[in-house]
Amino acid sequence: MSTLKRTWKVNGQTVPIRAPAGRRLLDVLRDDLGLVGTKESCGEGECGACTVIVDNEPVVSCLIPAGQLPDGTAILTIEGIEKTRIGRLIQRAFLECGAVQCGFCIPGMVVSSYALLVKNPRPSTPAIREGLAGNLCRCTGYTKIIQAVKLAAARLPKRK
Amino acid sequence: MKITETIDIRFPKTLAEALRLQAGEKTRGQLLAGGTDLMVQWASGAPTPERATSIWNLPELDAIEIFDDFIEVGAGVTHAFLRDAAPIHRHLPALVAAAATIGAAQIQARGTLGGNAANASPAGDTAPALLVSGGSVLLASRSGTRTVPLDRFWTAYRRIDAQPDEIIVAFRLPRKGSARERFRKIGTRRAQAISKVMAASRIRIVKGRVTSAAIALGSIAPTPVRLSAVESLLVGQKLTPALIDEAEQLAQATVQPIDDIRSSADYRRWASGRLVRDALENL
Ligand SMILES: Cc1cc2nc3c(=O)[nH]c(=O)nc-3n(C[C@H](O)[C@H](O)[C@H](O)COP(=O)(O)OP(=O)(O)OC[C@H]3O[C@@H](n4cnc5c(N)ncnc54)[C@H](O)[C@@H]3O)c2cc1C
Ligand code: FES
Ligand code: FES
Repeated sequence: MSTLKRTWKVNGQTVPIRAPAGRRLLDVLRDDLGLVGTKESCGEGECGACTVIVDNEPVVSCLIPAGQLPDGTAILTIEGIEKTRIGRLIQRAFLECGAVQCGFCIPGMVVSSYALLVKNPRPSTPAIREGLAGNLCRCTGYTKIIQAVKLAAARLPKRK
Repeated sequence: MKITETIDIRFPKTLAEALRLQAGEKTRGQLLAGGTDLMVQWASGAPTPERATSIWNLPELDAIEIFDDFIEVGAGVTHAFLRDAAPIHRHLPALVAAAATIGAAQIQARGTLGGNAANASPAGDTAPALLVSGGSVLLASRSGTRTVPLDRFWTAYRRIDAQPDEIIVAFRLPRKGSARERFRKIGTRRAQAISKVMAASRIRIVKGRVTSAAIALGSIAPTPVRLSAVESLLVGQKLTPALIDEAEQLAQATVQPIDDIRSSADYRRWASGRLVRDALENL
């Protein structure tokens, strides 16, 4: 078993990583870096609770062994997203729309919404459904979550 | 300690280095690409290997190249890359459509074409689209490279024609040219659902007559299959409503569907015919 020595850019900050190569990104974030906003639910890639952004793509952190992320990998978690303007717009819209019930799926939902809005600032309803298709919610029935993403999109500054 | 931490994962930087590791029985490891199949299998209790060889991000596996009559897609190309690679959409629309239905954004960002083909699940969505292209797989080992036609690549349930020291490098896929392609997938929901049945087709019509036809189904049998009887029925004919009826019935009569937790054999038989009809009515 090999121990990794890496430096990643986590939420904009350079962070040294020391972990077994097979440790899941999810465990590095939660247990080693204390970034517990990222949740674990299924541990099998199905539910999206553990979604983070790696090099601009949303991924499920429960399926990535840390060793596959080279030096300089840029990782954005919910803790980083909530400091961005788009992230704050999304959070506020979720609250205003009543899109949060138990809340367990919400960090993943916000991360996927952020990934969607960065790529497509004016998503149609089908595009929102598709962007959030990898995130399961047992409480809300999704309608209010989709409304919230629409509201956040409408409030985005006209040009970036 | 989580189970995946017990695996000795090596990270070769080049294909040559990976092939060297795979060449020796004592250094060989289970190939790990995007991990969207393997990490799930390991998390859900499948036996873990002692060693794994990560081929994620190997530069030699990551390219798509457009040649005059075929496209070469690297085995490490992700479904997200295929989905977004606009220049190849008109050459391989069925494959692109298949990639865009896999899992959801998070899985597409990591799952690779090579992993989908090598995992050899009957429900692998890209397989029928690969099959109708009539293309081949390029495999490499330290002793050289070899080409296997896709219609001989899936040999039995979850088996492929690859040796333990070989790595799939790329897929060489003829461009569709003037033919029409279609991909349809039937599952319980659109995202994250394993297919009950899916179909891909590539059909060329010149002056009202079918000049070539390739139709493949997945999730039906232990391996993805071409419907050669239906294909031969169509070639040389005009696509009349009567011929489409006949093709639907022939598909239903010739498939040998499996029964499993996702669907029954009867349903699959019926759906196979409907998918053939759908392909022919929507050219
Ligand atoms: C939530 C979820 C939803 C999914 N939905 C779908 C779906 O809708 N449709 C679908 O088809 N699949 C689906 N999958 C399965 C999976 O995402 C795909 O099969 C994916 O393409 C696998 O690629 P990978 O790179 O992640 O493979 P890995 O998990 O890395 O590897 C899979 C297998 O292929 C072998 N392998 C990988 N690369 C090579 C190579 N170059 N040469 C030789 N052998 C190789 C590995 O050794 C392993 O046996 C889903 C998975 C999850 C977790
Ligand atoms: S915990 Fe990773 S997808 Fe469910
Ligand atoms: S709010 Fe409870 S799972 Fe989504």
